[in-house]
Amino acid sequence: MAIETVAPPAARDSNPGPPPRRRNRNRPLWMLAPGGILLVLVILVPLGVALTVSLLDLDQYTLREWTGAPFIAFDNYVEAVTDTALPHAIWVSVGYSALVTVATLPVGLAAALATQQRFKGRALVRSAFLIPYVLPAFVVGTVWRTILMPAGPANSVLGEQHLWLNGPNSYWTLVVVQLWTSWPLLYLLAASGLQSISEEVHEAAALDGAAWWAKLRYVIFPHLRGVLALALIIAFLHNLNSFTLPYVLFGVPAPHDVEVLPVLTYVESFQNFRFGLSAAMAVLSLVLVAIPLSVYLRAVRLNQHEN
Amino acid sequence: MRTDVQRLLPRWVQAAVIAVLLVFVMTPVLYMLFASVNDDLEVARGAFWPTSLHLDNYAKIWSTVELGAGLANSVVVAGSVALVSALVAVATAYVLVRFQFLGRGLILRGLLALQSIPGTLMLLPVFVLFANLSAVLGMQVIGTRWALFVTYLTFALPFSTWVMVTYLRGLPAELDEAARLDGASSWRILRSIIIPLSWPGLVVASIFAFLLGWNDVLFASVMTNPDSRTVAVALQVFGATQEGGAIPIYGQLMASALICALPVVVLYLVFQRFLVGGLTAGGVK
Amino acid sequence: MRRIIAIVTTSLLLAACGNSGDSPKTEETGLNGAGKTLNVLVQANTIYPDQQRAWFTEINDKFKAQTGAEVKFETFASPNDELTKIQTSVLSGQGPDIYSLGTTFTPTAYATGAFLELKDDDWKKLGGKDAFLPATLGISGPDAEHQVGIPFTSRPFVMAYNTDLLKAAGIDKPADSWDGLLEQAKKLTSGGTYGLAVAYADGFDPWKFIWAMSVQAGNPLVKDKKASLSDPSTLKAYQTYLGWLATDKVVNPAAVGWKNAQAIADFGAGKAAFLPMVSATSKVTLDKSAVAGKYAYAIMPTIPPGQTSKPGNGVGATSILSGDNLVVAKYTKNKDLALALVKLLTSPEQQESYYKTFGELPTNATAAKKLQSDPALAPIIDSASKASGTPFNGAWSQVQLALVNVVVQSIPALKDGKLDEAKLKALIADGQKAAQDALDKSK
Repeated sequence: MAIETVAPPAARDSNPGPPPRRRNRNRPLWMLAPGGILLVLVILVPLGVALTVSLLDLDQYTLREWTGAPFIAFDNYVEAVTDTALPHAIWVSVGYSALVTVATLPVGLAAALATQQRFKGRALVRSAFLIPYVLPAFVVGTVWRTILMPAGPANSVLGEQHLWLNGPNSYWTLVVVQLWTSWPLLYLLAASGLQSISEEVHEAAALDGAAWWAKLRYVIFPHLRGVLALALIIAFLHNLNSFTLPYVLFGVPAPHDVEVLPVLTYVESFQNFRFGLSAAMAVLSLVLVAIPLSVYLRAVRLNQHEN
Repeated sequence: MRTDVQRLLPRWVQAAVIAVLLVFVMTPVLYMLFASVNDDLEVARGAFWPTSLHLDNYAKIWSTVELGAGLANSVVVAGSVALVSALVAVATAYVLVRFQFLGRGLILRGLLALQSIPGTLMLLPVFVLFANLSAVLGMQVIGTRWALFVTYLTFALPFSTWVMVTYLRGLPAELDEAARLDGASSWRILRSIIIPLSWPGLVVASIFAFLLGWNDVLFASVMTNPDSRTVAVALQVFGATQEGGAIPIYGQLMASALICALPVVVLYLVFQRFLVGGLTAGGVK
Repeated sequence: MRRIIAIVTTSLLLAACGNSGDSPKTEETGLNGAGKTLNVLVQANTIYPDQQRAWFTEINDKFKAQTGAEVKFETFASPNDELTKIQTSVLSGQGPDIYSLGTTFTPTAYATGAFLELKDDDWKKLGGKDAFLPATLGISGPDAEHQVGIPFTSRPFVMAYNTDLLKAAGIDKPADSWDGLLEQAKKLTSGGTYGLAVAYADGFDPWKFIWAMSVQAGNPLVKDKKASLSDPSTLKAYQTYLGWLATDKVVNPAAVGWKNAQAIADFGAGKAAFLPMVSATSKVTLDKSAVAGKYAYAIMPTIPPGQTSKPGNGVGATSILSGDNLVVAKYTKNKDLALALVKLLTSPEQQESYYKTFGELPTNATAAKKLQSDPALAPIIDSASKASGTPFNGAWSQVQLALVNVVVQSIPALKDGKLDEAKLKALIADGQKAAQDALDKSK
């Protein structure tokens, strides 16, 4: 479904991207070095360590000399799948992340469209929109936890005793709070996408005298497809990996309904000391995410000049 | 009617969207503001509107929480991450967008895939890395701002680079191509053509990198010591320690949270001009 | 960086000196720590943030005067942060020289093998084992020969009660059985005031109740690497603890969202008659609250739920053996300095001034003796002497987590006004399995 909406526009006004052959000489590949070295050193190498750990029986008894922890091949993986809350956590995580991501799209897009045109106080409105995103997740969690505590303002406004931070409601609490704090990301990306649409396009559409929704539908949205496709992926991944927010909102051990992946892996390693098992869980979930992600990436063809 | 060319929504839809979103966003924020001056017991009772005005909370927090030092550390770390990551990202993106080479598609996809790695998986390995680094270099790494800087810089890179890739794709290639035909070096083209034209993208990339450094507590809580502690960690320490022994001091907590958010909000207000000013850079004027 | 250079140079110097005989063995004053720094990790104290900062400076000055070395304190926010810090340090062999650990983390720290096991020689450097209250050594190690934890402070749990409310209801003193306490709580619950203030959403409080009620009934929860959560006494403990809110309705329904601090706040507002499971540190908060002067401390009941007297195999534990232990990291390059600092921290003078500033009881025998005459402290000291150590097993923190998890997952059902025994049993069975799995891996 998402695949159709984000298919690349058939034609573009400008002609970005590398013309095929001419550039094959003098490619300044050295410019990739600073970023490349950092990524390899600080992400890929530790990732390799994490992969290794996932094959070890690393716990509080072997932590001190971790390289000497017993090698148990894929036992951690087997245990993760058959004997832990991992499948449940994946279900919860993927479900809520997808819900939040889908919900951020109309919200963020509407906000970007509404603040595109100059008006008095626009800078203030735009800054206000960004507040949820700039607040540290820890603060967001604390504020919402206070609002939603049993004797908190939410219940006193509703005049009823609802339980928001545990039980079935907690799932929706997580969805709303994560939406609250993450939609500005999509808003920002959509806004920057809107800004790169040239004046001519706007003018052409204005001359056509198209109705506003038709202009959006046929002129503006096609231009945003690329950036929105990216934004959706980023938003989904951010939601999926959001740790501090559910951790602060619900605490550990997490209530069953909001036992999300990052919290589960955190508890498994930092509270239960099953570092190997936890790494295996994280790697498994990484793989599970990577499969749909790669399908998606292929479908949206992030680079329209690739064959 | 030039301004109306940019109008994408009818006035009433625009007004409605803004109003609804402001209520959605500002209710919890106002709650923070009210709670920050309210009586702690009233907050505990679930009051939304303040019944008293404890402005002294804003004076007290500076000694209760180590906000001053935390803010300074956060500004230094997150600020330099924002700056450097945008520059590294634009260089990387420039090569990725303008040149064809083996492994390019892999790198592009890899950049996205890297963002799906959970921080909780990386915490221990990154710590081990820095510990070993410190043994090799013979100096302290963990606990310094450098360790945080390098960590955040790297974690910010995939996203910053993607932002820049997306942005540069929108820039017409004619400009730098012309310069290239004139014999300009790649470095020169990057410096004098690409970077000046990519302000909006650079600002967005920087803001995200800045936020990453500003808001992280997972890495900062184990990789800092009191001297290098960032403001988010200072806040977390403050919030978490309240859970045992004392009556929760909501007022001071909310006050310090607001203080912590303020610099970022202000920063965005300032940089908005650049975003707007560089609006048409994507098209050819 | 300066520190590392200093360490490198000093260790080179020491190596050069070899066995020239001037290595300090006799007195701590013989230590030369000039240019060295000790890092100490302690929990941040937000009840007394300013005093804590002052204390850091004071200790640094004193220690510098004694040895020439500097002391740098680092703070952690929560027990979870503390665990993470320990894990990363153990894994990387880098971090603070001395840790102040909650007593229940000592078994975990011991299990990592990363902390200094104190030999007779080491105890001597600390002024001897006799300097400490024997009871406080109960959770320093698996047995007297293998100890890693040096008792630093004692924080036994007690119960605060509102004297005005009790008097009004005609109750002269808190009951000594949990059933009796429930009866009193029922009498004290009326119109917005509740019998008990209990923090159901706290990450640590719940297991302490379950543990106490279980051991009192003769079930230590862990024995010889076997978990016994499935014992009927534990089910009874959960039913009692959860029943207070669900069926007996002697707890404010809002307590399903309370952490420890909110329970204290509620009691402080005069809205609850009893506040079980608090330490003496709550005194500061309560003395500033609406119940100042109208409350007192008592030991918690020791007769398990459903009984009228302590069963023969039961342990009359009033509290877990609670407080802080100091542990010295094996990777420290300044072991003797670290021990000298621990000696300073556990000296009678320091222990006394620490109590006066922070309200935490001394572990030093001399300092503790001085306090015994203080009547206000009588129930707390009483509780300290009747406190019992939690099982010393490297898997204990996992058992603890399993115990809390049962409460967390039970919370949504509490508002239904009844406890589903089958569901509770299923949750406890999960807990039993998790605990046993962890114990099976323990070494």
